[in-house]
Amino acid sequence: MVMTRRDFIKKTAALSAASFVGLNLPFAKHVDQAGATDADKWVRGSCRLCGLGCRVELGLKGGKPVAIRGVAKSRTNFGYLCMKGMLFYKVMEHPDRLKMPLYRESKKDAFREISWDEALDIAAKKFADAKKEFGGDSTAYYGSGQALTEETYLFQKVMRGGLQTNNVEGNPRLCMASAVGGYLTSFGADEPIGGYSNIEKSSCIFIIGSNMAEAHPVFFRRVMRRKMDNKDTVKVINADPRVSPTSRIADMHMQFRPGTDLAMLNAMAYVIIEEKLFDKKFISDYAVFKSGKNTVDMDTYFAELGDYTPEKAAVICGGNITGDMIRKAARWFAKSNGTVSCWCMGINQRKRGVWANNLINNLHILTGQLCKPGADSFSLTGQPNACGGVREGGGLCHILPGHRLVKKEKLRNQVESAWGIPAGRIPPKPGYHTMAMFKAVNEGKIKAIWINCTSPAQSLPNVDLYRKGMAREDVFMVCTDIFPTLTTELANLILPTAFHFEKTGVYGCTERRSQITPKCCDAPGEAHAEVWIVREWAKRLARELNDPVIEQCVAPFDGLEEGYDLPKAIWDEYTQKLTKGRDSDLTGATYGVLEQMHDGVQWPAATEEYALTGGTVIKFAREYDPMAESHAKDDKPFQFYGPAHPDKKLWIWSRPYKGADEEPDAEYPFYLSTGRIIDHWHTTSMTGRIPELLRANPYSFVEVNPRDAERMGIKPGDMVELESRRGRVEMPAKVVEGPIEGMVFAYWHDMHEDRMINKVVKDAFDPGSKEPEFKICAVKVRRLSGPKRLTPYVV
Amino acid sequence: MPIGGFVISVDPDIREEIVTMLSEMEGVEVHGSDAKGNIVAVIDTETSEVMDDLVHGLQKDPQILSVGLTYLNAEDEIEKIVSGELRPEIPFGRKKKNRP
Ligand code: SF4
Repeated sequence: MVMTRRDFIKKTAALSAASFVGLNLPFAKHVDQAGATDADKWVRGSCRLCGLGCRVELGLKGGKPVAIRGVAKSRTNFGYLCMKGMLFYKVMEHPDRLKMPLYRESKKDAFREISWDEALDIAAKKFADAKKEFGGDSTAYYGSGQALTEETYLFQKVMRGGLQTNNVEGNPRLCMASAVGGYLTSFGADEPIGGYSNIEKSSCIFIIGSNMAEAHPVFFRRVMRRKMDNKDTVKVINADPRVSPTSRIADMHMQFRPGTDLAMLNAMAYVIIEEKLFDKKFISDYAVFKSGKNTVDMDTYFAELGDYTPEKAAVICGGNITGDMIRKAARWFAKSNGTVSCWCMGINQRKRGVWANNLINNLHILTGQLCKPGADSFSLTGQPNACGGVREGGGLCHILPGHRLVKKEKLRNQVESAWGIPAGRIPPKPGYHTMAMFKAVNEGKIKAIWINCTSPAQSLPNVDLYRKGMAREDVFMVCTDIFPTLTTELANLILPTAFHFEKTGVYGCTERRSQITPKCCDAPGEAHAEVWIVREWAKRLARELNDPVIEQCVAPFDGLEEGYDLPKAIWDEYTQKLTKGRDSDLTGATYGVLEQMHDGVQWPAATEEYALTGGTVIKFAREYDPMAESHAKDDKPFQFYGPAHPDKKLWIWSRPYKGADEEPDAEYPFYLSTGRIIDHWHTTSMTGRIPELLRANPYSFVEVNPRDAERMGIKPGDMVELESRRGRVEMPAKVVEGPIEGMVFAYWHDMHEDRMINKVVKDAFDPGSKEPEFKICAVKVRRLSGPKRLTPYVV
Repeated sequence: MPIGGFVISVDPDIREEIVTMLSEMEGVEVHGSDAKGNIVAVIDTETSEVMDDLVHGLQKDPQILSVGLTYLNAEDEIEKIVSGELRPEIPFGRKKKNRP
């Protein structure tokens, strides 16, 4: 029987799925013989969307993307993808793509198309004028956890070494800064110790503040598989004020009032000590207890936990929490052969985000659930390159590439020397963190700002306040992006950029893994890779300011072709000169190595030979991490060589429970929390343009607990107003046993003015990490009307 | 006309029931399942929209634990988009005021 092309593709699809679960299908041989006629070339890279770093192969036909499949040999996803990961490539051919530079002198005018020469001249002149008149700190760069590492690295190099400002920030400040703060203060080193593969060896999985079923579906699949394949021996605990699709696989759902998890986590530590479930040897070998600035002993720490007996904590937590439940969770956690904690924005986006991170890390240190297969304290990342580009590449105001602190002169000098620029060129003072940066924009202190690949006009908390600054006529704003966004609407100059697979570069995902995505298609119109844009801008900037040091910042890259040679040279400089010997050592992860890997390389990986094995699966364990061996100060199996703890110990922190910055009261009686929905990503500038994703969730809605809904007379689909001290929105209600009573939960992706929830959210931030408390504020909830026909909206 | 390869995972105890349910759905072909509750299915629909509706219906079903994709071919659709025959339908007007 002759197989039609369509039959062939269907059988290929079936075989692809069957191969992942080890099923043999009868037509396997026949299809293999038919050959891969559905695409004439498959190119391996990473998914463009979330922080998991799933590996994909893009199928090209006649140079156009026509198909996509997961990479079965990749350790990040073993071939699985989620629906948005499958569809991201559809934005490549989208008619809305920006194709020409657009400019307007005044923000009141319409944009006009201009040439690249003119555009780069304008950008250079405006930044140069600001520096001449007001100093380097009147300029700023605000980047993204979606920019390639090469892009973030080059931008920050020109800003710091060229314009002499540390006003280098990025949207990861809004999502993972508290995890950074937590890792640094608990373990002395940023980023998780282990990786995804711990899930397959774990016996207890503690999920807190993460709806991974929707936000990280492919990782959730691994967790689900671990549980379903070991129903009786693996325990899953889900702790969250909201019951979500993630709860489906949980043995226990701990539902508490928003923000009270600090008390709950302290109570788990209390049980671990009271019932002697801690690992005495691990603690005495590797840990110390800290209370404020003091080092204390375990008795003092335990006495400070006295306010958090399980029974007392249960009263603070409310919801379904009981003392027995906390005891049970602590026992499962401590006694399992391997416990992995997973968390995300529910923990990080908090006024006490660093503390919440510390309290999770505490449980792992107390029980020794670290540095062994199946055990880890694992923060999930939202963006594909928040770890690689921004945390490691120097994309925040206080850090330089290679996990170096700006404030340390020796470390600044190392960077200056690597760049061949005069010592003292990088200013010693860290720049503005994100919220301070946009406050400075509001106040007119920043005169020229470059926003790359992100949309703060939608993603900042209390966003209306900060949109006023961005709209100021005396603030010159450049945006580099692939689509119009609410932020480009406030810009003077919009520069069109190449998208994923239209340029080459590296993303570093959640598990310290760097993976390359090569260019295989041309960008539309006159769009360029960001690295080309920065280099050409910097050359003009050097001329405007008559400053050879700026020229020097990009001189090593002059004349290189932008699709491959240029990013490769930037990656080489960054990895060979600035990560060598650091805890994030990527010296062995050359393009040559990364191109050979199905997935990528987990740092530290100091040699190519080692990098080719995939790198370091578990940091600090001598058995797995050569750097632990080379930094060994004694014969113990674990060596905590992180740069932030001079004593090379793990720190168990005494941290009291503190509520949210804004708790409900008589006037604003409900907690509001916000989050993601499956298939939409961030501000929907991409997923909102993929019709099948948009149609599934065309607008935000608010989840209301059925008992609250009944009290307020709210029926499913009714229009509901949410009002805070900052702003109001209206959106349809979904009446669901999701949020705890007294709390509503709204999806944050919607761009429509009436439904943009960040107008309502509070801009209070963590004093340590400076990450805003997106997850908790107080609102009034009011039924407006019955269901209303709504119009979806993207700019 | 996109075609996708899926692994749909359910509790093994209800695997047969879900296989029957899936087999009766238009556009879904079940190619096999295993004792762990993994069901291999191909979804073949007229448009990506229909496929996405179908997948969303599955994701919302509390009995279905995970819907994993392994392969998607949308060649026909993309050819039409590239040739201009099909413009991705975004059912709302975009802001024109600041555009050239
Ligand atoms: S889980 Fe994240 S990285 Fe993986 S396919 Fe989905 S969006 Fe992409």
